[in-house]
Amino acid sequence: MAGSNSGAAASGQGNVLLWRGLLLITLLGGWEAYGRLVSEAWFSRPMLIFARILTWAGDGLGGHVAITLAEMLAGLAIGIPLGTVFGLVLGRLPVAAGILRPIIFGLYSIPLVTLAPLFIFWFGLGLTPKIVLVAIVTFFLLFFTTFAGVQTIDREMIDSFRLLGASRREMLRKLIGPACLAWILSGIKVALPYSLIAAVVGEMLLARAGLGYLLMQASQQIDMTGMFAALFVLMAAGVAIGETVNFIERRALRWRNL
Amino acid sequence: MAHQLIELKDISKSFQREQTIIAALSPVNLAVRREEFVAFVGPSGCGKSTILNMVAGLLPPTTGQLSYDGAPVRDLNRRVGYMTQKDTLLPWRNVADNIGAPLELACHKTGKTGRMDKIRQMVELVGLKGFEKHFPGELSGGMRRRVALARMLIYDPETLLMDEPFGALDAQLKLVMHDEIQRIVSLGHKTVLFVTHDLSEAIALADRVVVFSSRPGQIKIVRDIDLPRPRDVFRIRFSPRFTELHEELWDELKDEVKKGTDT
Repeated sequence: MAGSNSGAAASGQGNVLLWRGLLLITLLGGWEAYGRLVSEAWFSRPMLIFARILTWAGDGLGGHVAITLAEMLAGLAIGIPLGTVFGLVLGRLPVAAGILRPIIFGLYSIPLVTLAPLFIFWFGLGLTPKIVLVAIVTFFLLFFTTFAGVQTIDREMIDSFRLLGASRREMLRKLIGPACLAWILSGIKVALPYSLIAAVVGEMLLARAGLGYLLMQASQQIDMTGMFAALFVLMAAGVAIGETVNFIERRALRWRNL
Repeated sequence: MAHQLIELKDISKSFQREQTIIAALSPVNLAVRREEFVAFVGPSGCGKSTILNMVAGLLPPTTGQLSYDGAPVRDLNRRVGYMTQKDTLLPWRNVADNIGAPLELACHKTGKTGRMDKIRQMVELVGLKGFEKHFPGELSGGMRRRVALARMLIYDPETLLMDEPFGALDAQLKLVMHDEIQRIVSLGHKTVLFVTHDLSEAIALADRVVVFSSRPGQIKIVRDIDLPRPRDVFRIRFSPRFTELHEELWDELKDEVKKGTDT
């Protein structure tokens, strides 16, 4: 959306970046000073946290990140396509959607965390229960956004495409699907951070590896520096995910920004 | 010939909005011959577009019988190409891919090279050379209408339904398009139902002009346009016969237009 190609906009952007940097330095500096001068018992301080992250980096942090990432990706790989297809198909079948509505809303109303113990019983301690959690959360997000997207498609657009001779399949592939692309992408945009939450929540309950496990371990040892270190890594992961999605969205929806 | 291509027998249409029933079209009778060009003029909301929707099979008539080529229209009528008043281009496809869209469907399947050739022909026909890679959002209203026209013509349907196809075009371009349409229709032996607000356009193009009266719409007069073909659309307006027809039909139309603005 931000078509910043004029000189004024570019220098405005430069100023924003400068102010962001200053704000960040001030916040971290203030925190560091508070930790050194007053107490670091409950808040640790940035230098210690970054030192810990560096230590971890040489000692298996990559492995934990990889585990969490693997759970996310596997769950997303199931949840996104399933949710999208269900949304597209049920979106075109109002009667079936009406019948299934209470079931779908009932299942969706169950809070995520409460499902975790069940999945641990069913699927054990490995990656599977977390993958299932991620898949369920992202399935619903994609289902609801895609379903809503189908409802917004113009009636005349559908009619004119049918008159051209499109079969049901062609209609889905060439009209409904692409028309919902913006909705699907916004669903994915929401689903990605949620997939991180789902994976980490699963790991916090019971796991042998992953970022959630790292966080729980630190918390059980009342290791503030460790907890903040884990949180910082999670934040970095979240930001990286968000930027990836923005990038994909900008490329896929070029026609929208014209 | 045994039967007319399109036959409307006592066709009427009413819509229900909550408790009230709104009559959009009083019973009309009309028969359209094969290869005939029929123009509908009349105030807005007089059911002209409703008739096109019914011929396309998108809307069932409330009463009466509608047949196409001797058979009643029950489902979608895929022998017609329909250029609706509203823009139905796919916003995520560029001009060339929008025009070629019908040929990607199984029922008009064309190989990639054949498709490219036809797209190029159509782009040239509607005067959009150089805009092939543009998205609909980058085009003016008139250009989008021309893309829609090309998309309809590319798969060569035998009957063309056009709902104010050139309303958004400037006067000069309109004449150029009239010339093209006239050529396409006579070369392709097309039957055409053409809705317009522009009486001159209707007379210049059509074999018959149907004047509708305002809501609930009904046919007020049907006039044969006996101007010889092929017509020079750029000059026909200056011929005495054209002026006569225009005056005669305008007399019929102006009362309806006034009535339309009173309510």
